[in-house]
Amino acid sequence: MIDRASPASPPVGRVVATELKPATPYQFHFWTAQETTVGIGAIVRVEEQSKANGEAGRVVFGVVTDAFAYSDLATPLHDVIGAEGDPARAAEAPTVRQEIRLWTAAVLRQIPEEPLQPVPLGRVLVASDADVAQALRMDAYLTGAAPTGIPIGLYTSGGLESPVYLDADFLLGPEAAHLNISGVSGLATKTSAVEFLLASIFQHFPVHKGKIAAVCFNVKGPDLCFLDQAGTLSDEDRRRYERLGVAPRAFERVRYYAPFKADGVNLNTLRTHPDLAPTVEPLVWGLAEVLDYAEVLLNRDDIDAKADAFIDFLSDRVLNRDFEDGFGGTHRVQSFADLDRLFRAIIGGLEDAGRSDMWRTHHIATIRKVRNRLSNISTRCKGLVADDGQSSDLPWGAFADRTAYIVDLANVDPLGQDLVFARVVSKLREHLERRDLGVEAVVVFVDELNKYAPADGPDTYVKKMLLDISERGRYLGLVLFAAEQFRSQVHRRVVGNAGTQVFGRMDMDELATPGYQVLSPATKIKLATLPIGELMIRHPHFTQPIFVRFPRPAVLRGRDGVERFPPAADLPFAEAVVRQLVRLDRGVRPNLVKDLIADRDEVDVRRALAAVRRARPDDVTAYLRKALGSRVAVDAPRARPVVPPLNPISEEPY
Amino acid sequence: MRGKAAWTERIVDAGAVPAAFVPAASGGRSDVEEIAGAELVEEERVAVHAVAPGGGPATVSFLDGIQQWAVVGYDGVVPIVRGYVAAAARRRGADRRLRVAREAARELAVAPLALLRAGVRRALEESGAAVIDLGAEAAGQPGRLLVAAQQAVNAERVRVETEVAEAVAARLGAEEWLVVDGLLSESAKLAGHPRALGVIKSHSAQYFEGADLQTALTCPGGTRTSVFRPRGRARHEVYSWYLRLWPWEGNDLLFGLLRIEARAHASTVATATGVSSWLLAERAPLATPDARFDRLLYPIHDVETYLRSRAPRDLLLTAGSRLPKTGT
Repeated sequence: MIDRASPASPPVGRVVATELKPATPYQFHFWTAQETTVGIGAIVRVEEQSKANGEAGRVVFGVVTDAFAYSDLATPLHDVIGAEGDPARAAEAPTVRQEIRLWTAAVLRQIPEEPLQPVPLGRVLVASDADVAQALRMDAYLTGAAPTGIPIGLYTSGGLESPVYLDADFLLGPEAAHLNISGVSGLATKTSAVEFLLASIFQHFPVHKGKIAAVCFNVKGPDLCFLDQAGTLSDEDRRRYERLGVAPRAFERVRYYAPFKADGVNLNTLRTHPDLAPTVEPLVWGLAEVLDYAEVLLNRDDIDAKADAFIDFLSDRVLNRDFEDGFGGTHRVQSFADLDRLFRAIIGGLEDAGRSDMWRTHHIATIRKVRNRLSNISTRCKGLVADDGQSSDLPWGAFADRTAYIVDLANVDPLGQDLVFARVVSKLREHLERRDLGVEAVVVFVDELNKYAPADGPDTYVKKMLLDISERGRYLGLVLFAAEQFRSQVHRRVVGNAGTQVFGRMDMDELATPGYQVLSPATKIKLATLPIGELMIRHPHFTQPIFVRFPRPAVLRGRDGVERFPPAADLPFAEAVVRQLVRLDRGVRPNLVKDLIADRDEVDVRRALAAVRRARPDDVTAYLRKALGSRVAVDAPRARPVVPPLNPISEEPY
Repeated sequence: MRGKAAWTERIVDAGAVPAAFVPAASGGRSDVEEIAGAELVEEERVAVHAVAPGGGPATVSFLDGIQQWAVVGYDGVVPIVRGYVAAAARRRGADRRLRVAREAARELAVAPLALLRAGVRRALEESGAAVIDLGAEAAGQPGRLLVAAQQAVNAERVRVETEVAEAVAARLGAEEWLVVDGLLSESAKLAGHPRALGVIKSHSAQYFEGADLQTALTCPGGTRTSVFRPRGRARHEVYSWYLRLWPWEGNDLLFGLLRIEARAHASTVATATGVSSWLLAERAPLATPDARFDRLLYPIHDVETYLRSRAPRDLLLTAGSRLPKTGT
């Protein structure tokens, strides 16, 4: 919390202005003693002397962006002469030359704001807690009936630790939204920063703004696999949590989702330790879910009107309907297996007939291509995409307030990652548009943004979707938190639309790119050497970048989590089935289940298991027995908008 | 400078014509040219002693003064001069940095009061500045009055320097020394102080002749001459010797040449080489960009820089055009 009772500190410097280095409304220079707590990123307060009529002088807040030191030495040669060419003697000179510590500061705020005038040549003081709040214009959203501050970290300088808050209206919408974080791997602590910020959002998101949830895609290692487990914190970290008003605790509500491995029963995640595995929900999609996002699966060369039309045809006329193939066969396509049977019938029928390469206005080459691509996804993403048509999905329509939904895709094929990302985000958007998701706002956290929205390269479905979110998501409550190593390699409109930008330790080559021209050389050097746990923040209310320090997240780090909860080895098929069922009902008797599935085909068992999972019956074993005994009923066909034929009299529907 | 604005404007209100003229001789002092003579106290003839740079006392105070003046108005043909004199002592301690130990400054109004009209004179007397009356003897061409004004300001500077130096000398620590820029012999207290030194950079006064003069003025870099007792216009008795900081060959005969003044006491002769040794070490840092860097000790240069930074800006001598200067 902001301490408004700090005693006034003595001045540490004085503004100076010359014709060559004048003070302007946006920048000023000041000098300090050589021993000073002022450094790059420090916030200072300039006070103009009171006017003759007793009126208080202007107050200006600035942040130090550059620093200079020089002595009265006219030329380096004079130092050589004075030391007679011996560097050791230069250090022995009886008098130390006069030196100056000259600082350049960028104006954060002037009071009064109008008329905007050059910074007065007044005394310079180190900013207090209240000064920091005023300088960063945080007073506008930390006070009043409906404060919207979200703690992001502590501004630290010269022993001062002032909490810095972001404005929820500008971080999570509707005024602005999205957050982008850049920095080199391992040192920029991007994931930790997002974990802390999510915890802060969940604890401080204003009640009057409604409910909020987060969907995080874990795309590498065990990074986000243990958010519900408490990590170890130092006393220093605990003190920082207290200063920020954030409780140092693990996430209270986290739901994990992971696809199966190729065997269809073991989950493809590092969170498979017996103590934790029951908390991971399978993420399995059927043909219907995949066909809706088939564009994701097709690379740029594939996207042509013919393939597109054929996929639409399959979705609208074939899927979940009784369909005659024209060669005497009737199909009801509900799974990839059904679809492949249809493809085989069509291609075989055309080859046998030998009369034409066309089937229902679609060329056989187009049919082969679409078959190839769709078969490919069921092969490459086996475990995510189920052959049998059963799906297990995120709780669309029942998202819970202040809950993190972690989708673990770390070991999924990149094509599958794209598919999951595209579908989840699209579904979020659909539900948020209809206001039936269960929450009013969702933060979507994506790491490796440069992979999904590269600055160059083809316009993929995922990239177009990210652009759409970044440009229009704030109106819906769909907020993108994205991280990447190199901001310059991400599409400009995606990073440009991020209202809040965060920088961890940066690579010097990256800092040399045009996107960082607005930063002073000193700020760049500070960014390139930023210690772990320190970030540079740009936020709409802050007129200049601000450095803050955040505490280590109060959750178990991925690497520590894997050590404390080592992933379990893949279980044999029967054991894995038992574990799945035990997760639904602790009263399930393993031996009975093993007996039930002992002589059954694995495909049938998987199908039955999916049915049990979907139905969540009271008596799991009985339901499984029933499901194994007959073909499991499929979902009712989904109603899809159908365009009526132009000429309803015609008997030819194509 | 509210005081300046007050009295310079008040004399204009009283009928004086405003002026803004900074004479070329207003920034410094001139050395007295004389044949003074000297009595050797160390050897029979002037000899040269090698000196090696060495460590000095842990704490040394350095003293210097400045003077500035300008014509700010004319009452008829009578110039009215505004002067500013200041002196400061800056102490160097173990951290080798200089900090102000004592300082004094004085604003002066200089004019022949008897030659001014009553209104102008009254305005000057009520100005609050220290008024120095030049007397009516120099009446006539303004140039004569300007010479008298310069001498008056110079005398006032010496007075301020002496005040500050004596105050500092009275409080010197047991091992602390005071180095004064200029003559030590102006003050009895300074001339008799065992740890006060005068460092003289100008050499208009002549103390030797013939071979002794040649030996003294051609001593090589890193040497000192024999100690002698100056004669002539020195008010108080001191011992003195020449010290060459830098080789003069290839430059001027007086390049790097200092004359040191110290207490007229046998111990001064004994310590002359030791004192010369640490003064020689004061060559570094070089007192550039001052043109007198060869003879100007850096701490003295520092005191002067300090005083000038606090002096009224409108009294500084500007070279070339008197139009406002731009930095671009």
